[in-house]
Amino acid sequence: MEKIIFRKFQIESKTFWMMFFGLGFFILVGYLCSHYMETEGHYVTGMNNQIVWGLPHIFAVLLIVIASGVLNIASISSVFDKKLYKPLAPLSALLAMAFLIAGLAILVLDLGRPDRLIVAMTTYNFKSIFAWNIFLYSGFAGILAIYIWTMLDRNVKKFSRPAGIFAFTWRIVLTTGTGSIFGFLISREAYGTAILAPLFIIMSLLYGTVVYFLIVKAINYFQKTLFSEEIFLNLRKLTLLFLFANLYFLILYHVTNLYISKHLEFEKFILLDGGVYTIAFWIGQVVVGLLLPLFILFRDENKSESSLMSATLLILIGSFLAMYVIIIAGQAYPLKIFTNYEILESSFYDNVIHTYIPTIWELGLGLGGIALSLIIVLIGIANLDFLPTIIKSPEVKKVAESDN
Amino acid sequence: MYQLAMRLLLVIFFLISPDIYSHDGINHSIKGKSKADDAAQCVEPTEIMQKEHFVFLYHQRDKTVINGVRTKNHSFANCIDCHVSYDEVGKPIPINSEGQFCQTCHVQTAVNIDCFSCHASVPRGRKPEAHISFNYNHLENQVQVPHEIEELVSYVEGIK
Amino acid sequence: MTTIEKLSRRGFIVKSISALSTVYFIPDILTSVHAAKPLSEEVKSDTKWAMSIDVDKCAKGCTACVDACVEENGLYGFDRPETDSQWIRKLTIKDIKTDKVKVVPMLCQHCENPPCCDVCPTGASFRRIDGIVMVNQHTCIGCRYCMMACPFKARSFVHENLTEQVTTAPRGKGCVESCNFCVNRIDHGIPTTACEEACMKEGHKAISFGDLSDPNSRVSQALKTKQNRRLRADLSLKQRVTYSNI
Repeated sequence: MEKIIFRKFQIESKTFWMMFFGLGFFILVGYLCSHYMETEGHYVTGMNNQIVWGLPHIFAVLLIVIASGVLNIASISSVFDKKLYKPLAPLSALLAMAFLIAGLAILVLDLGRPDRLIVAMTTYNFKSIFAWNIFLYSGFAGILAIYIWTMLDRNVKKFSRPAGIFAFTWRIVLTTGTGSIFGFLISREAYGTAILAPLFIIMSLLYGTVVYFLIVKAINYFQKTLFSEEIFLNLRKLTLLFLFANLYFLILYHVTNLYISKHLEFEKFILLDGGVYTIAFWIGQVVVGLLLPLFILFRDENKSESSLMSATLLILIGSFLAMYVIIIAGQAYPLKIFTNYEILESSFYDNVIHTYIPTIWELGLGLGGIALSLIIVLIGIANLDFLPTIIKSPEVKKVAESDN
Repeated sequence: MYQLAMRLLLVIFFLISPDIYSHDGINHSIKGKSKADDAAQCVEPTEIMQKEHFVFLYHQRDKTVINGVRTKNHSFANCIDCHVSYDEVGKPIPINSEGQFCQTCHVQTAVNIDCFSCHASVPRGRKPEAHISFNYNHLENQVQVPHEIEELVSYVEGIK
Repeated sequence: MTTIEKLSRRGFIVKSISALSTVYFIPDILTSVHAAKPLSEEVKSDTKWAMSIDVDKCAKGCTACVDACVEENGLYGFDRPETDSQWIRKLTIKDIKTDKVKVVPMLCQHCENPPCCDVCPTGASFRRIDGIVMVNQHTCIGCRYCMMACPFKARSFVHENLTEQVTTAPRGKGCVESCNFCVNRIDHGIPTTACEEACMKEGHKAISFGDLSDPNSRVSQALKTKQNRRLRADLSLKQRVTYSNI
């Protein structure tokens, strides 16, 4: 008879500490980069008065979107009551917490005045979606902690469904809030549209699913955890579904923009003559991020894990470039201040496409954030029983004894 | 046990002792000469200023920025104007530099002040007021006020 | 008080005129004759600061307004035009239909529905009751969201440590700033912004600033005599800065 129990991450002490210090090194580098940015001032970065949000924001928004999406695995089990996913839920919640904390850390450390974090957390202008997001993100971390507790602790297991529903609702609001950061901006042609909120939700679902798959495969390299054929096929189907959904929303967004005459010039910039931004859009976001994974998954009739892995890696590269297009290209196109006039000259770069060349400091901060998320996962799975493992019945007692 | 109790009592004694936190009342020797050296007291009694000047700063800054209240009494620019020291050649020494007015207390109390990352640490540029200013006879841009009017105005100021 | 010695008639006239002239200088005891607010009083919504810019009067090659703003507010740069702050700038624009080239100063439009204030998470970007849109730099965390939101690119972020600020314009690294209608000047009773004063001194008189609620102010006169319009009127921001002949 087979039983599913939750176990800690069983790896050699040496391997654990190597991973720990390896990730810790990147975190240290990330912190030092942010410290340098804070003390010298942002002139050392590639961000300026034209491109105000850069690489750190790409990383931060992407991590937060992934955090929200990776919880979907747990939501399917708790909210939609699919028993198949129940053992996978605790790990999914842990991943969500890890990516959220990392995304927040990058965002806060890139502020012009990170020392005023207390001000940010106590003074709110509730008209601002950013203010709501600060509240939503920190609340989400708390809710995830409670959700994980209800799943791991037998005594409160009966609360895991309500906690799961609460977390699911909170996460939908959170991702809507993240998309609305851009959706509520009226000044730029790239933003100011309600479709950005559902677009972000559907992006989160896609990226979350593939990231979950990636992390589970990574853990499985060291320790066999539960990942049955049925679960794998389910994830594969979900990935396909979300790929189509993403394509749908993306096409809708851009085609609608083409019809809005005010936005036509901007759309032409993105789709045709934006140089690096056009390449990032077509090759990065569309082909590598959406079409190629679809092609790979369809072509593979054996439905092997390796095809899903290749699709995963391509989707994640595409996700980064998608954020690049949304965040940077949206700022690169100059503001259209005059409807009847063309701006010939300006000391403030109003008449040119803005360029953004990221520096090593921003990259260091971003990578430090990713390392932070992975170290939280590592510490979590090594110390608490997150990993679902199938064992045969006679071995239950032996395993329980060896674990303790 | 006895030793622990004695040590605890000693710690509590130090914590509640009022003199630990108050200024020792001795004038610190600050390099250079400032207008405050000649003044008898600050805009508020010295005792209150030493312990609670931050209260004035925190509240006044909101009143100034958000409500546009710019009385000279609690104006930060005025504080700097009076307390900044001038060296032998008449050049102002940045008020937040080592050994100057702010740091003599703030280093000792280990309270970091952030004001001068934004505020000018010496009077610089146009003087805030456009109208008559008093008492700054040795600086530029002064309207020389007839004696009777100056008295009348300070009388009026005193009524407020 | 001084003892009043025996006065001659001439002495009496001179002294009383001098004494009475203080009436025009002491803002605190008299309700204002020239719309100068007493220093201790809060600003009220009765005052409505606004600006009208006549584009035809703006001269090509002249940067008096920009230079005056830099001097008034201590906006010294670091020779890094991509990151140096600009509170007012000159744009050279060409009419798409007629190919006519004009120059126009661009600054914060002090909208009545400011998008920057809508998005600021801490409320640091706020609209003062008299219409001035400014940043409370005590609360600004430097997130730059307002810079994303502004349709006119009016805001600048301070990218480096500053040490040479002027007393009347505190500004520092890590906070966002923009034109504040020379709020320190006008609160102290100087009835003109630095840019307007410079433009007047140059003789162009393209910029007219003043209180909308005063029908005799320069801006009210400009609004009465010329056809003014708002930039990006489609956004319905109801800016206090309007342009004519554009």
